[in-house]
Amino acid sequence: MKTLAFCALALGLTAGTAGATELTVATAGDQNMVDYINQYLAPIFEQQNPGDTVRAVGTGPGDAGSQKILERFQAQADAGVTSWDTDVAVVHQKFAGPMAEKGYLAKFRDDIATGKLVSSDMAKNALGTNVDGYVMPMFNSQTAIAYNPDLVKNPPTTYAELADWAAKHPKAFGYNGIKGGMSGVSFVMGWVYAFAGDGDKLQQGPFDPAEAAKWDDAFAKLKAFTANTTLTPGNAGTLDMLARGEIAMGPVWVDMFYTWEAGGQLPPNLKLVLPAPGMPGQPMYYVIPKDAAHKALAEKFVALATSPEVQAQGIVKKFNWYPGIDAQYVKANLSPEDWSKLFTDIGPDDLATKAKAFPITPYNNAILEAYERQVQ
Amino acid sequence: MARVLSALWWLPRGLVLGLLAFAIFGPIANLVLWAVAEKWYFPHVLPLQYGFSYWAKVFAPRGDALTSLVTSIVVACFVVAVSILLAIPAGYALARLRLPFRSLILLAFLIPQAFPNLTVYVNIARIFYQTGLAGTIPGVVLVHVMHCLVYAVWIATAAFAAIDPELEEAARATGAPPLRAFVDITLPLAMPGLMASAIFVFLESLDEFTGSYFVGAPYVHLMPLQLYTAGAGGNYQIASITALLLLIPSVGFMLVVERALTADVLSRIGR
Amino acid sequence: MSSVSNPAPSARLVGFLLVLPALAVIVGLFLMPLAISVIGAFRTPDGWGLANFTKSADLYSIDVLYTVGVIGLSTLLIGLLSIAIGGYLTLGENPRAVALLRWLYRWPLFIPFIVVGQMMRTFLAKNGLMNNVLVAAGLMAPLDTVSFLDWRGIVISFVWKQTPLVALLVAGAMASLDRGTIEAARNLGAGRLRILVEIVVPQVMPTLLVGLTLSFVTMMSVLSVPLMVASQSPTVITADIAFRINAYADYGVANALGVISLVITGGVAWFYLRHTMRERL
Repeated sequence: MKTLAFCALALGLTAGTAGATELTVATAGDQNMVDYINQYLAPIFEQQNPGDTVRAVGTGPGDAGSQKILERFQAQADAGVTSWDTDVAVVHQKFAGPMAEKGYLAKFRDDIATGKLVSSDMAKNALGTNVDGYVMPMFNSQTAIAYNPDLVKNPPTTYAELADWAAKHPKAFGYNGIKGGMSGVSFVMGWVYAFAGDGDKLQQGPFDPAEAAKWDDAFAKLKAFTANTTLTPGNAGTLDMLARGEIAMGPVWVDMFYTWEAGGQLPPNLKLVLPAPGMPGQPMYYVIPKDAAHKALAEKFVALATSPEVQAQGIVKKFNWYPGIDAQYVKANLSPEDWSKLFTDIGPDDLATKAKAFPITPYNNAILEAYERQVQ
Repeated sequence: MARVLSALWWLPRGLVLGLLAFAIFGPIANLVLWAVAEKWYFPHVLPLQYGFSYWAKVFAPRGDALTSLVTSIVVACFVVAVSILLAIPAGYALARLRLPFRSLILLAFLIPQAFPNLTVYVNIARIFYQTGLAGTIPGVVLVHVMHCLVYAVWIATAAFAAIDPELEEAARATGAPPLRAFVDITLPLAMPGLMASAIFVFLESLDEFTGSYFVGAPYVHLMPLQLYTAGAGGNYQIASITALLLLIPSVGFMLVVERALTADVLSRIGR
Repeated sequence: MSSVSNPAPSARLVGFLLVLPALAVIVGLFLMPLAISVIGAFRTPDGWGLANFTKSADLYSIDVLYTVGVIGLSTLLIGLLSIAIGGYLTLGENPRAVALLRWLYRWPLFIPFIVVGQMMRTFLAKNGLMNNVLVAAGLMAPLDTVSFLDWRGIVISFVWKQTPLVALLVAGAMASLDRGTIEAARNLGAGRLRILVEIVVPQVMPTLLVGLTLSFVTMMSVLSVPLMVASQSPTVITADIAFRINAYADYGVANALGVISLVITGGVAWFYLRHTMRERL
């Protein structure tokens, strides 16, 4: 008891000398991202660093949320601010490249202990831009097709089967186009991978403008397909329509799907399938601005957030995300049941072969613009 | 006979009013239901399970709901005060004095509402970072004031235009200095109109999101920010509860200043 | 207007000084950043030019027309409903019904746009609360339900949210009219509808136009409702602006679209301006 009290006193003293710091974490993404930081990560961090507090700021879902963080950085860089008001930011993959290229980010991965627990390519390369050292993956997110087994007995397992199914069941498939969120964009990218040949080239580059000519057929098909589907208002809109039984099938983010199911907004019988050749997913990254006001503490925060225990208990068990660091370190910290829960509908083999990346940025933009011209 | 006829009139009247009530309260009922729904999905017409677990989440110690609500109200009150202080001289001048380019000046106040503001707020944020206004309450208040001035100035102009100028002139004729005459005679008469403009300014400020994010966050945490994250992400329970919380100051403020909305003032807005 | 009176030559200067603080806020805080955006619309990767505008026209001309159509229709409906509400509040003969209506119509005023978007998304859907209630009440067969989550949803949301504001202004204007003419017309046997159309509406026209201008302009810059109610194509200009920025980080075309939107609202404002000018001179 005495030692405990002594420890507490010592901790209190060190905290006192270090001074109470408020760490600002800006996060793009849905409400669950803010919840994750506020309700799970921050209490652990504050316990480990007495006196310091974490403040989470949600900047809105989807690309728009990450874009707002980028614009904030830009405004501060242009204004010549030397001590930035964000210590840690959580951004979508697509925005890490521009942030690193413009010199907004600190190179910190080698400075934290958990940096070597990530071996996958996505920690080094974000849609064609080298981000090695600038990012730590928080988690991986995947899109898949959600369906209602009462209405769809044999779910399609490939994009070709899906197209046939949608032709036979007009308006029963729903997606949100490309302007209402990333689940629709991901569906379109998967479509191009499936019907326009070289998915690998699109994902790895190099960029060749002539490639775009090969997509015309795929987009003509997609236009006919889209005429036969229901267009939904946004990522949440697709889930909404599934929940109300207005559509039988549609592309969704896997983590959002599980969160809605747990939150009682989806019928519990809905299932997921990942059609071949696959659909893109993306990681969310932790980044630290180059001129963050509390850089040392920010690194500590990211180290905690990417530690195997937190990745296991927080990312996988509590929030149903695929881990950001290598699976082997996370698996060891979880019971086999908890681990296998991640793969209820989509097995590890499926994920290994059909979880794709988004195309590199120039292809990504070219595909979106081709969609705007040829499908809408 | 006349009595029967007038009672019969309640049929179409009741029907129309009932339809209107459904159109207005239907969506609001939807909001209230989502605020207390624990489980709600097809094919159930009403929630499967009711409860307050999401309220607990909103009011959780780290949920920030109460502090951001208080900050939002504080900011809105400041915005009202500053806007009205700016609008009183401007409205008086626009209503009483012959100004060159009067219509253009009135129009200038409309522009912040007219341009899709996403791209503009990024530029404002840059300027605010340079001047140190970013992340401060005064910064947020300024951005809101800019956004709300159209209501403040237009309605204040209307309020002053509605007052008979001869009253003030009579006071001046008895020897009262101009400022005195204004404070003693014109201002009290304009008060109801100014209160009306306060309502609109208050509501606009509570509703504003883009500027609050770019200029305020992370240090000034306002309620619409939370509402936006929850709403756009499809977290209906949290969004509905937050929306209901935002209703409290709005309706409260309206009730307080309601009687200020006199017909005389409303008829002159923007003219 | 007769209220404008002040012959003193220095009045112009005094008046200008009085307006100056409020004007300075707008000019300093908004017009400068706005100018940066407008200039940005003409900046392309290859120097100055109109490329952003040609691209906007190329990709989004249908969306621009759609925006004008949807918001124009909303404005029209808001105008009609406001006249109806204001008219009944002014000419209604049953005090209880008038009181009820007065209490009823202004509730949406307090609901922020983003909440309107989110409410309507679940209310107007095919199996949303509205259709569910209609089906449960036996007014509709389950198979006849349709979703309103398209342009109709946007129009309904806008009308729902903006009508109270305009109705509030219009009703106020109507209430301050001289009752004499109305009573005289009534004594001559004119019906209430005729009094409304021929006597009341022409007199409150300026207020109505002001309210509609404010509404039109506000709706042009709302993003949350179209995004949440119907984000398919075609869509409104604000959604395209957001998409241009978020998907391509393309500020050039986004700014060009912003300028197009400003020109449209400018056209409407010009209408308003001309009207007030005529009133004044």
